Amino acid sequence: MTANLTKDVTMRYADLAPQTSSGAVPVLLLHGFGSTFDMNWGAAGWPRVLETAGRRVIGPDLRGHGSSDKPTESELYLPEHFVSDLVALLDELGVESVDVVGYSMGARLAWALALAAPARVRRLVLGGFGPTDLLAGVGESTPGEGDGPFDQVFNTVAALPGNDPEALAACARGQAARPFTRTPHPAGIPTLLVAGAKDALAAGAEGLAADCGGTFVEIPGRDHVNAVSSRIFKQVVLDFLQD
Amino acid sequence: MAQENITFTLPDLGEGLVEATVLEWQVAVGDTIGRNDPLVEVETTKSAVVIPSPKAGRVVELHAREEQVVPVGDPLVTFAVEVEDAPQAGIVGKVPTEEAAPRRRVRLKPPTD
Repeated sequence: MTANLTKDVTMRYADLAPQTSSGAVPVLLLHGFGSTFDMNWGAAGWPRVLETAGRRVIGPDLRGHGSSDKPTESELYLPEHFVSDLVALLDELGVESVDVVGYSMGARLAWALALAAPARVRRLVLGGFGPTDLLAGVGESTPGEGDGPFDQVFNTVAALPGNDPEALAACARGQAARPFTRTPHPAGIPTLLVAGAKDALAAGAEGLAADCGGTFVEIPGRDHVNAVSSRIFKQVVLDFLQD
Repeated sequence: MAQENITFTLPDLGEGLVEATVLEWQVAVGDTIGRNDPLVEVETTKSAVVIPSPKAGRVVELHAREEQVVPVGDPLVTFAVEVEDAPQAGIVGKVPTEEAAPRRRVRLKPPTD
């Protein structure tokens, strides 16, 4: 389905019904930079796990990604625009509150959503994410031309079919314009951080979890790419989201 | 009902990928699983993927160990599946067994709207 909610950008999203409804709030899945709902979550087996547990799944392709519009102006990728997209999507679907599971950039946006609209977020899961500012310096440089960890990520995803490197560069710059800060943290929302033991991009996740009164779970042997599909990750999230 | 062994090979995961690394089996030899149940978790150079089972059946053999790199088209798993060993009831007359219409391969795309 698509929705044109914030006038400037049309967003494609999945809205998947549970096998049998548990009555629990839907789960909003937010994918990482350069990925899509289908690639990040769908192919990794998440919808099936959540639907079997009785959860409705809402999964947008974030602006600049997948089948959603891909503007090339960096100011359209400030975190607050993503937050507006998500709030508008929940309004459109008539959903009062959700459990949010974000991975990598999606985790950063999940955090921003929980800060901006705490009444809409029941529980918060941040996967593959830490407080380190991976985008430091991106504002002044061309993403992918350096040799930092983010340049590697950028070059990998920019080459994926369907991606627009210009839109992704604009997205990186828009996010870099609002560096992540550990404070304030979302108050009163139970928070879980999950990361692969070999995920360098999520460095400091354990400390961030402690700061915000949350829980940290490490997935043995996994890195930033292959932690997503881990059975441990799914089970930990299911347990955390259960009433 | 009789049993027949069917071997499932690593499918083309798309866009020029020629191999994948087995991360973790979601089933073990002897398990009876349903169609579309999670079968195996693999990693390509681009992403991590859980491959659903194409068959309902009992797992007879796993052809790759964890961390092994498997080329597309190589055997992944063998299932024992139940097959009909008698003509299906309710069919009257002669059923042509040859010249069946060729099966078409259709690439399905998820709807974009």
